[in-house]
Amino acid sequence: MSDVFVVGADLIKFGRYPDRTPFQLGAEATLLALDDAGLGIRDVGAIYAASTFNAASMMAQQILMQIGQTGIPCVNVSNACASGATAFREAVIAIKSGMYDVVVAVGAEKNPSGMLASGKSEGPPPEGLFGSGTMPALFAEAGMVHSSAYGTTIEQFAKVSVKNHHHSTMNPKAMYQRETPLEEVLASEMIAWPLTKLMCSVNVDGAAAAVLCSERKARELGLGRAVRVLGSALASDPWDARNGVMMNVNPVTRLAAASAYEMAGVGPGELDLVELHDCFATAELLHYENLGLCADGEAGALIDSGATALGGRIPVNVSGGLLSKGHPIGATGVANIVEVVMQLRGEAGRRQVQGARLGLAHVLGFGVGVGAAGVHILAKV
Amino acid sequence: MSASHTPSPRPATGFIRVGKDLQAWIAGYRCPDCGAVALQMTLACRHCSSRKPLQEFRAAERGSIYSWTVVERSYPGIPVPFVSVIVDLDDGLSLKGTLRGADRDAVRAGMPVSLVFDDAGSAVDADGAAYIGYHFTPVAGEK
Repeated sequence: MSDVFVVGADLIKFGRYPDRTPFQLGAEATLLALDDAGLGIRDVGAIYAASTFNAASMMAQQILMQIGQTGIPCVNVSNACASGATAFREAVIAIKSGMYDVVVAVGAEKNPSGMLASGKSEGPPPEGLFGSGTMPALFAEAGMVHSSAYGTTIEQFAKVSVKNHHHSTMNPKAMYQRETPLEEVLASEMIAWPLTKLMCSVNVDGAAAAVLCSERKARELGLGRAVRVLGSALASDPWDARNGVMMNVNPVTRLAAASAYEMAGVGPGELDLVELHDCFATAELLHYENLGLCADGEAGALIDSGATALGGRIPVNVSGGLLSKGHPIGATGVANIVEVVMQLRGEAGRRQVQGARLGLAHVLGFGVGVGAAGVHILAKV
Repeated sequence: MSASHTPSPRPATGFIRVGKDLQAWIAGYRCPDCGAVALQMTLACRHCSSRKPLQEFRAAERGSIYSWTVVERSYPGIPVPFVSVIVDLDDGLSLKGTLRGADRDAVRAGMPVSLVFDDAGSAVDADGAAYIGYHFTPVAGEK
């Protein structure tokens, strides 16, 4: 099987695009990534397109409508917030299979505004009658399990938001470039204890794309800026006694991480940077432990130590993360891989992690009571 | 429809059962092979994948809080604040619900609670039938 290389990667600036379709956003990101690779759509053998809300509209074909209808196979992927990683992984598998030399993975989304709600149910609306089903409440409850077990404080959760907002001041493609000091994060509107508004990810539109190719093609193009995909894993949530009642982000992430580390032949201690799914500030601390960046119970101490900030031992979400770069749901999984690629190439500008050689990208998706996690490990060639 | 023929109350969520005597309970399902419990009847056990039919049981009405949050902002029109809890019932089932009658500053993991059936916020369906819902309350004497 061929090794897989990323030879093109880019994203559009995350923000609100009221006058454009998600297909146009995805098309722009695809062209940016193709330009980055020095390739055109006629070089592409297949396209894998992720959108939580628009996959059913045959988004990959809609993108080709914008940039060239070459007749290639189009695969449309919806897998909640893990959609982008799922599409990227299908692209990895396509190259590994030997059937294609060049494929594109693209994620694009126009998020609905406001708090994302789940589907309609029979009977009176359950919200408030039977607890809360809002995403902030689910991630607040997930965080409170950690808090109850280890004494994690609201200040420790809030520091995640301070750090990621700081990082995105150095990312011109992030939604926000504004510092949010700890006092401001703690004083912003309380949504669901311990999550304030600034500890919730930003609902934005966005698109990101990557061009993947075989080793043969990568050598033909020149390996100078190529990044090797060492590990690619996708997991669904394994059985847990509370499945369907409580969203548990931990087992599914641990399953995907173990599989990706094994495939890559590396351990968490060797990583130079991590882009993980900080949909809410609580989630980032849980994933420090889920991804093995620290031992169980030590996530609060890890954020306190500064190790996960740019310049620290293991910088996390130097792009600004979902909290400040923004979270266009189906695009996020591709976007965090794009950030790792930029870092491994040494092209991340002011937010560059010096000497980065090995990086990990993680996303977590949840629907009503079921989930998915994707983990990719990439290496500088 | 005459006043003497008020329709029977309906479960406000799928796992509430209402008996002929209008007594309500929560239905749980247990795998006869591995003992795993769930709030849904499934084709096979989602823990051990045994295809032996799951056995329905009447869920316990006492348990303890596994996790919680105080919801200060919800979907538009939903009254806040309220305390959302995940409760581990004494028989192994878990259930999400709203905790009522508790001092919000005293809510903690492990706090013992009781399951209480209610009128689901006085909701009625299109035929005028009342609903039966539930919430949790702190066990008397506990804070």
